[in-house]
Amino acid sequence: MDINTLIEVALIIVKVIFVSLILFTLPIPLTWIERKVAGHIQVRLGPFRVGPHGILQPVADMIKLMFKEDIAPEKADKWLFRFAPLFAMIPAFAVYAAIPFGDKITIPIINKEVTLYISDMNVGILYILAVGGISVYGIILGGWASNSKYALLGGIRSSAQMISYEIALTFSCIGVVMTSNSLSLLDIVKFQSGTILGFIPNWNIIYQPIGFVIFFIAALAEINRIPFDLPEDEGSLAAGYHVEYSAMKFSFFMLTEYVAMVTASVLAVILFFGGWDAPLFMPEIPIFWFVAKVGFFIYLFMWIRFTLPRYRYDQLMSIGWKILLPLSLLNILITGLFLL
Amino acid sequence: MSIFKKIFFIDFIKGLSLTLGYEVSKSVTMRYPDEEKWAPYQRFRGLHTLNRDAQGRELCVACELCAKACPTKCITVVPMEDDKGIGISDRIAKVYEINLVRCMFCGLCEDACPTTAIRMGRDYELACFSLDCAAADKKRLLAPREIPQEFEGGYVVMARLERNKEGINIKPDLTRKKRWW
Repeated sequence: MDINTLIEVALIIVKVIFVSLILFTLPIPLTWIERKVAGHIQVRLGPFRVGPHGILQPVADMIKLMFKEDIAPEKADKWLFRFAPLFAMIPAFAVYAAIPFGDKITIPIINKEVTLYISDMNVGILYILAVGGISVYGIILGGWASNSKYALLGGIRSSAQMISYEIALTFSCIGVVMTSNSLSLLDIVKFQSGTILGFIPNWNIIYQPIGFVIFFIAALAEINRIPFDLPEDEGSLAAGYHVEYSAMKFSFFMLTEYVAMVTASVLAVILFFGGWDAPLFMPEIPIFWFVAKVGFFIYLFMWIRFTLPRYRYDQLMSIGWKILLPLSLLNILITGLFLL
Repeated sequence: MSIFKKIFFIDFIKGLSLTLGYEVSKSVTMRYPDEEKWAPYQRFRGLHTLNRDAQGRELCVACELCAKACPTKCITVVPMEDDKGIGISDRIAKVYEINLVRCMFCGLCEDACPTTAIRMGRDYELACFSLDCAAADKKRLLAPREIPQEFEGGYVVMARLERNKEGINIKPDLTRKKRWW
């Protein structure tokens, strides 16, 4: 084995550790932002007492979660109960193996070109959808293993919701794949560079508006955010699948949820909003535009959460099967006709 | 029209713009114990004050009309002779005690008072750890208050939270005030 391969391997390990660290710490600012957004939308201030403008509140929450008693119900399936949060968390993290955050940058001091992705899979989008879909097992297993009717109902709802919306989500991605002729996320982003008529960015949202709407709605359902957060419906299921969870196990579920939200935003940006492509003659800064767009989508998810009420379960199902699924098929058909 | 509304998510966008409007609007939260405090209007009926006249003499002549007028019989007045000029006449209150647990802050005592000695003040932080402070004695009622009577009130004023051995004190800064809404 020569030295170059070793450096490559070391680089990948460093990147993996870096991405995981970022993902592990991401919920800390995100919970704060979410509570602030919630507060200001409801004409409150949100957390304000721990640190300036309550910025240390999530740290305090984290310490609290660490020192809370770790309770497992007496009649719960102990092993499944313990591993369900991991089942949910690992796929959510594994998704990031295929996600590109930018093209290449040159690190100034060692003068080496580094790619801003862990791997460029030629089936990237398929991998992400498939692995992301596994995440639901954690929710179902957690709901089942808790031996509680609320948790079980949450798990069942979650599985039904995932099945119905996963299809629409995947179909909406197919439109993008058809136009850009590749399953690799890097190619999809590269296809979207440049402009139409000199000033409109050449993003897929221009070609696939229906696809984007379907993708966005289905993604909301996939990540259990509010108009579709039936698995953890506070009103009727207390907290759904994580009713019986406490302390760190509960925080793993929360971590999964936030990571899934980031994944959905990242996918929306890569598939429909040109990834790290700078809009309107703005200067290209590595990662900056990508993070800005993802941040906008995360904000949008929070904004929607505190705007819309929750759908009823039958409404959720009828939207999924009767509207989104036919629409996504129609979208594929229209895209195909245009490509001909 | 309704199909147009559905296709372009008009109601959804309306809802989002409404919440965005609220998000950028000023919040109504009063950061009460930490930074802000409500300075009530002058008509507020809080902890009673015993007043003095311009020369610093006690206005109370211990006529006991307030005690008679009190519907809950929470005021105890014991008069005594005095020739040192503490009060405006030669009769002052030896004991003047208001049982704040019984008091319902109706303000009938200030109506009954012929010398405007007793007035409802603007202190409302009356909670404490023992029943000792539930009886307001003469010394406490005569003491100057943080919000003076002339202050207009009806504002949120900046305040500072102070913790000490006796408990928590929220010190208002009456010069820095703002309307609540």
